Amino acid sequence: MTKIVLRNVEKHYGPVQVLHDCNLEIRDGEFIVLVGPSGSGKTTLLRIIAGLEHITAGDLYFDETRVNDVDVGDRDIAMVFQNYGLYPHMSVYDNMAFGLKRRKMAKDEIDRRVRKAAEMLNIAPYLQRRPRQLSGGQRQRVALGRAIVRDPKVFLLDEPLSNLDAHLRVQMRTEILKVHRAVTATAVYVTHDQVEALTMGDRIVVMADGRIHQVGTPDELYDLPDNRFVASFIGTPAMGFFDCPVAQAGGRAEAKPAAGRIRLTGAQGSLLARNGRDKVTIGIRPERLSLAQRDDASADVLLEGTVDAVEMLGAEQYVHFVVEGGELTARVPREQQVRAGQKVAFRAEAKHLYLFDAGTGATLR
Amino acid sequence: MSSPVQPPSARRFSPGRIAQWVAIGFALFWSLAPIYWMLSTSFKTELEATRLVPTLWPEAPTVANYVGLAGTSLPFVAFFVNTVVSCLVTAVVCVVIATPAAYALSRARFRLAGTVGYSILAFRMLPMVVVLAPLYLLLLNARLLDSGTGLVVGFTTFGLPFAVWMMKSFVDAVPIEIEEAARVDGYPRWQILLKVVVPLILPGILTTATFVFMEAWNNLIYPLTFITTMDKQTLPAALVLTFTGQFKTDWGGMMAAATITTLPLMIAFFAVQRSMVRGLTSGAVAGA
Repeated sequence: MTKIVLRNVEKHYGPVQVLHDCNLEIRDGEFIVLVGPSGSGKTTLLRIIAGLEHITAGDLYFDETRVNDVDVGDRDIAMVFQNYGLYPHMSVYDNMAFGLKRRKMAKDEIDRRVRKAAEMLNIAPYLQRRPRQLSGGQRQRVALGRAIVRDPKVFLLDEPLSNLDAHLRVQMRTEILKVHRAVTATAVYVTHDQVEALTMGDRIVVMADGRIHQVGTPDELYDLPDNRFVASFIGTPAMGFFDCPVAQAGGRAEAKPAAGRIRLTGAQGSLLARNGRDKVTIGIRPERLSLAQRDDASADVLLEGTVDAVEMLGAEQYVHFVVEGGELTARVPREQQVRAGQKVAFRAEAKHLYLFDAGTGATLR
Repeated sequence: MSSPVQPPSARRFSPGRIAQWVAIGFALFWSLAPIYWMLSTSFKTELEATRLVPTLWPEAPTVANYVGLAGTSLPFVAFFVNTVVSCLVTAVVCVVIATPAAYALSRARFRLAGTVGYSILAFRMLPMVVVLAPLYLLLLNARLLDSGTGLVVGFTTFGLPFAVWMMKSFVDAVPIEIEEAARVDGYPRWQILLKVVVPLILPGILTTATFVFMEAWNNLIYPLTFITTMDKQTLPAALVLTFTGQFKTDWGGMMAAATITTLPLMIAFFAVQRSMVRGLTSGAVAGA
């Protein structure tokens, strides 16, 4: 049980800076997920917490202790690697016992812990096997087992499910959460899969280009993204965006789409006015759009466009359509027939629009 | 039930297959012919061995050459023991030094890592004769001339750079995650080397040791230069000294001795052949 604090952490590899001014406070016992596209620096950040990478600038604290210069072996962490990192020449039992032997633990205590972890992870029948005699899922469990027998202060997981098939991945998600509840260690989990992040994290850290973009609960990230990147990264299918002209007149502002209309709420209007630009980036989640008639007078937001592609998913379909200034996606029930190339109109409620600064991409607030 | 797939026997004589066999046959001939010649000559009489039109098969096979070896006053057993001991010690010394060196070269990130690595390799590229004189002076001053220890030093100077580079490639193949897992488990570097890396590259270590051993065994120039007492001589060098005279060469006797010299090497090779092939092809961590 440990609180982890990163203060102004930076990482350079020679002239290349891979982490920029990262600040983060991970609470005691929390399950936090670092998520971002490849090259976002999430794994580097995890390895810095582990002590496998040096910090170029900034400070890292475990509780009140600065651990920048504490060796990885002395940090009392356990780590699950993407490719498992099991010792190929040792049995499953020895893989799990290896770290405990180093701590000069009594033989029967080692045995008790290994067997308990093996029970919990359903790998008890395989204790005498070598890693190469196990399936991917079983290897992953051994890697988890090796981490939990240590009863570490901090539990680090680097894309542990990326080598498993889709079905097993869903199953292992639940198992990992179960394990986390059992060991009550602070857990940091790295993934590039936002679904994994949303389903597993108490809180999520969204990263891109070596920067932390936003930290929050899954609900906060979904409802109140700080910027366009977070809005586009969280949620499937992804939020659509388009640039819309803004008419500024005497402290009031209105969004004027090329085809259709937008009646903003009063609060949204004053946000645009305060922003002062003649353009705004508008984002709409696919589930907030529905097909409408072109002369629908009741809609706050009515957008006309041309269907680019239709993805059929069984019960529903994703309709990608092009509007002036961007492209949007709508989730549409299967019964409504839409074809590529067709002219369509979609409606939405004004309160479901996300407004971003057209230059910086920051959420207007 | 008829199968659209041809049974393997029908494909046995395809042109590709024939070309393959011809190539294999040529390679076999290329490498086995000298051995045949050595064996065949060792059973020939002195007259037949030196005949102008050589015979493929001994006309009157004789074991006189082998008997001659046993009957000679030269201490062939001592030669044999000298060679085995000096080559084994060289192999062990090389591997023991090369393992940590290769690990450091493979894993450590320091400013001159590349330079250090390539200067080791460059040493290996020097012709053996170039280091002969300096090595001689070195051994002279260290009072190690005409001794087994001096010989091991000589063999090691040449075997070690090769061993370091060969071992480095095996260490390179060990996934770094396995080592990082051991670091997280709390092990210091040297214990990671001993408990994780060494067991994983064991086939590589064996391969390297065998190469160094064979190279030392085949080395003629160092024993001929550094060893002056006949009793301390190695077998290959002793053979050259014994059978190559100023005016005549005893081919039959030499080939008989060569056969006996080659045997231990062949036995050593066959003993480790399996792990050697594995070491050379898989980089030692299959199924990691």
